[in-house]
Amino acid sequence: MVEASRDRAESPGNSAHRALSPDWQGWAACAVAVSGFVLCLVGRLAGGWSVSLPWAPSRGLRLDFALDGLGALYALLATGVGALVFAYGTAYLSLHLAHERRPAAERWRFWPWMALFAVAMVGLATAQDLILLFVFFDLTAVCSYFLIGFDRSRREARTAALMALLVTVVSAVALLVAAVLLYAEYGTFSIPRLVATVGAGTTTTVAGALVAVAALAKSAQVPLHFWLPRAMAAPTPVSAYLHSAAMVAAGVLVLGRVHPLLARSEAVLSGLVVVGAASILVGGVLALGQDVLKQVLAYSTISQYGYVVVLYGIGGAAGNGAAAFYVLAHGAAKSALFMTAGAVTMATGEDRLSRLGGLARRTPVLAAAAGVAAASLAALPLTVGFFKDELFFTAALDAGPLTTALAVVAAALTFGYIGRFWMLLFLGPARAEVGGRSRLLVAPVVVLAGVAVVAGVVAAPFAGLAAAAGTVSNAAPVTLSPAYHLDARPENLMALAAWLLGGLLLAARAPVGWASRGLAAAGARLGPRRAYEATLHGLARVSAALHDREVRDLRTSIAAVLVPAGLLTALAFAATPTAGAYRVGTVSGADWLVLPLLGLAVVATLAIAWSRARVAVVLALSVVGFALAAVYALMGAPDVALVAVVVETMLSLVFLAILARLPRDGPGRPPAAAAGPSGRWRDLLAGGLAGLAVFASVWGFLSQPAGTSVSAEQVRLTPGAHGGDVVTVIVADFRGLDTLVEVTVLLAAVIGVAALLRRGRLW
Amino acid sequence: MTPGSADQLPDAIVRVVARLLLGPSVIVAAGLIVKGYAEVGDGFGAGVIVALAIGLTYVALGREGAEAALPVLRHAPKVAVGGLLLALATGFVPLVSGNPPVTHSPAPGADVTKVGQLELITAVLLDVGIFLLVVGVLTVLLHQLALPDDEAGP
Repeated sequence: MVEASRDRAESPGNSAHRALSPDWQGWAACAVAVSGFVLCLVGRLAGGWSVSLPWAPSRGLRLDFALDGLGALYALLATGVGALVFAYGTAYLSLHLAHERRPAAERWRFWPWMALFAVAMVGLATAQDLILLFVFFDLTAVCSYFLIGFDRSRREARTAALMALLVTVVSAVALLVAAVLLYAEYGTFSIPRLVATVGAGTTTTVAGALVAVAALAKSAQVPLHFWLPRAMAAPTPVSAYLHSAAMVAAGVLVLGRVHPLLARSEAVLSGLVVVGAASILVGGVLALGQDVLKQVLAYSTISQYGYVVVLYGIGGAAGNGAAAFYVLAHGAAKSALFMTAGAVTMATGEDRLSRLGGLARRTPVLAAAAGVAAASLAALPLTVGFFKDELFFTAALDAGPLTTALAVVAAALTFGYIGRFWMLLFLGPARAEVGGRSRLLVAPVVVLAGVAVVAGVVAAPFAGLAAAAGTVSNAAPVTLSPAYHLDARPENLMALAAWLLGGLLLAARAPVGWASRGLAAAGARLGPRRAYEATLHGLARVSAALHDREVRDLRTSIAAVLVPAGLLTALAFAATPTAGAYRVGTVSGADWLVLPLLGLAVVATLAIAWSRARVAVVLALSVVGFALAAVYALMGAPDVALVAVVVETMLSLVFLAILARLPRDGPGRPPAAAAGPSGRWRDLLAGGLAGLAVFASVWGFLSQPAGTSVSAEQVRLTPGAHGGDVVTVIVADFRGLDTLVEVTVLLAAVIGVAALLRRGRLW
Repeated sequence: MTPGSADQLPDAIVRVVARLLLGPSVIVAAGLIVKGYAEVGDGFGAGVIVALAIGLTYVALGREGAEAALPVLRHAPKVAVGGLLLALATGFVPLVSGNPPVTHSPAPGADVTKVGQLELITAVLLDVGIFLLVVGVLTVLLHQLALPDDEAGP
């Protein structure tokens, strides 16, 4: 937003922007989200549904989806907030593109990813299988990469997109590892079946910790939180969706989904509480000093999902129910605040609190709606946020005095930073010009504020949804009955204490801001982002060094294949027993025909190495190929021989065609000679190593006694598959899936050739 | 194989042979597919044989000559994509009925309708798909390689 706002600052008023055509792609995405919302709602009211299709039955993998309580909550959140954000985005994106003088066609780079993201979130919410969970988890990360990097001409957007992708995808591997660990132990990927069978133990603890790592990175929890503030380089609708109710929610969704497994291990739950508490404090304290609007909200998100993680760490009926309710209440409030930030920046061209103020008089509706959203986040009464903190306090009270104190501090921090955000934005002297406003940038905020107020009065629908979700996470019934109680119960006292402390934070804004900025500076110098950047630079340097070596000339490219292949084979050779593995057979019958053919291949190979003329090299290569084809034919593999002959002919033809395109001069002196005698020795060494390794492998393979291998079994099964020819049956049936993948690669290769030679035109 | 002018083309015998070979090569390919499941040969080999005949036509007549003589060649990309889709469809249609991918029917041991030596099983469809893909892909590659540089380069 920084670049855009600078652009804006130069031309306030900005009536000169050419109007873009209506954003029908955006409205289509919005329609998808609305219909998804309606379907999920109908499904939920009908009592949920489930579908289970076989995917890879031999591995126990099924496409297993169910709209249970947890799935319904997250699916409704993702589609409901999605619909509003998409409607907002139709207005926002047009203005954004107009600012940056980009064509309307750029919408195609935006909306498909947004819609796919919404679909992936619903898939993630309803998936009942660890592998499916992983697939959708990564799908959201891939979408977020393209969305955060939408302004691809800006370096910071590209860095931020890569950072978000790397942090979330690399840690998502932990989820896959956990899935495989559990599969190895219990033989299923299905979450309901795992929940039913898994007991406490080391495997469960390790798997739970690994899942938690993936989920916490996704939910931007300390110490992997640093990607989220950077991801604010994304256009505002992306932040309002991904960084409030969707992408970061995916992490805690996974926690909620596998919570019964996590609950088998005290260590994992304690770890969650610690990480969540650290995130609450780090996010909350840093949010107090931020100047850029979206940065305040980003740190706030870190802190708020810290609440949810703490609640999942506390567990039990109170913790799980409160966590689900918290996600719902927070998602609605936070996306409203993100959209407020975007609307303000679009109207004024400013994106910093220090340059904004007094907007309440100019934009009263937005100020009121944003005020409700902020109040909901700060847990003031008459908003749904009050209940989220009430449930949070109840769970914290159950968990002990330390958690209770943490809860009060957390709520005070939230009150402090969100109060500061709203006051600096809407109160005080007006500092910025307010340009053209779009109703569509305000209406979704108003809708979400309305939802917050209605649910703040009648909490039953939200509570019912959250209780159903908590029941899934808790694997036992959860009931939630949030209500206003006008008495001196501990929850109310904690809320009062939090508001008081938060008020103090607001009153002492200046020193608090300094302290927060000091901490932020220290964190930037010593924090985990430094470690991330150092790792990335180190890896890039190693990769560049290897790459430079490999592509220096043809010899190093070939050596890069031959030497590692030879060394790996030598390693395998050293690690396996060799006694009796190498036998010298007898020469008899057709073998006497094979020997001269092999001799011919050897002579032709030597000729290739010595020859300087191109055509001679190509012809010698085809001699090698045909000699080997003849060997296949004699060794009883006519199929391979046929393929070898036709492919060899085609290769020779293609080689000659390529030679015809080269300049007439010969290849000149081979580089080996130019490199001097030491270069020649090095070549011999590399070639010799690889050759010896291949020789040893082939010899060892040929020494195996026949009849004990897979091939014997395939020969046995062939007649059953209506075939007489084993090779054909293997290709078309036994290994049919491999064949399908390989033929797909063939077409991809042609497209690659066409892209290189003719800019992608196939004909 | 040099693209371009008529003075570089090979002599009349090569040109005539190239034209004449195309028909028999298609027959051989068809034979390989039909017999493939019982004897030597499969869709891949058959595809390469037809592509070789097409390649020979390119050598004999030049790119323009070959494509003028066999206008059907310009459908090669469609043939390749169609072949791939046919192969993939054969592979994944069994999913609909709850079987693993690449489950062929009739099932092992069941009776098979025979037309001469050709057994009517879905594996043959897969082979036909691969045949079409290979012919299409190799023809596209021949076309691309035979294009002169100034037309091909960026």
